Amino acid sequence: MVDLLFYVAALVAVLTAVGVVLARNPVISVVSLLTCFGSLAVIYLLAGFQFLAAIQILVYGGAIMVLFLFVVMLLNLGGLSPEDEDGDDPLFHDRRRSAGGLAVAVALGSASLIGILRGARHLAEPANGYALPDEGFDALPALAEAMFTRYSLPFEAASVLLLATTVGVMVLAKRQRAVTPAGEKRP
Amino acid sequence: MSVPTEHLLALAAILFAIGVAGFFTRRNLIVVLMSIELMLNAANLTLVAGARLHSSTGPLQVDGPIFVIFIIAVAAVEAAVGLALVIALYRQKQTVSLDAFARLED
Repeated sequence: MVDLLFYVAALVAVLTAVGVVLARNPVISVVSLLTCFGSLAVIYLLAGFQFLAAIQILVYGGAIMVLFLFVVMLLNLGGLSPEDEDGDDPLFHDRRRSAGGLAVAVALGSASLIGILRGARHLAEPANGYALPDEGFDALPALAEAMFTRYSLPFEAASVLLLATTVGVMVLAKRQRAVTPAGEKRP
Repeated sequence: MSVPTEHLLALAAILFAIGVAGFFTRRNLIVVLMSIELMLNAANLTLVAGARLHSSTGPLQVDGPIFVIFIIAVAAVEAAVGLALVIALYRQKQTVSLDAFARLED
């Protein structure tokens, strides 16, 4: 029963991921990606990672996708994009470039699938068949202990990265006025 | 759940390939950024599958979940910077099509 739920969630994740790539309307892409992240959160929950499922919903669903949706609506990209003057498909690159990209994706995907399915028989089989510990595989005490001892340096680096991003994004997205009050042109 | 690890890894590989396809074929800059998020999520799923296998066969290991948390932080940063760049580029050309930005000097 639980296994069946995993396969349903996996199917939803794959279909919505295809929807992200194929959708004509960027808003549909955003909503598909949100559904994809939601089904990935279900998979994390089924696999025994409650905390990761929670932050998947909170950070991806709550923060990142809202940011995407905000930009799509701010720039008013919701409608269908008109064809450009060359009459090209507004969605995809020209045929040669698309075929090349698709070939790279298919080669990468099939290579990793073959590798996974061939290598799977060398994986160590757990004796108790993935029995779930009571507090899951990402028990918060163990997670916090590792985060603030062994991984304290990456933790600090992440905080610096977030600060630098906040400042950098403010500078990037600030509307640059062409003329200062003194009447001089800014570079 | 008793789903074998290779099925989780196969799902991650499929999602990554779809992300690569979107990254190389779409013209819309915002959809390209969303494809990158999809690829980062496939990487997260791989780490989760590995952490589950290692924690089931031995003592509890939290390295996988910690890496997932860091990847989510980096993904948030990447989305913020990428979308700020999209807004800055949109001000220049009033479009988010990648063709308009093939030559960045003009």
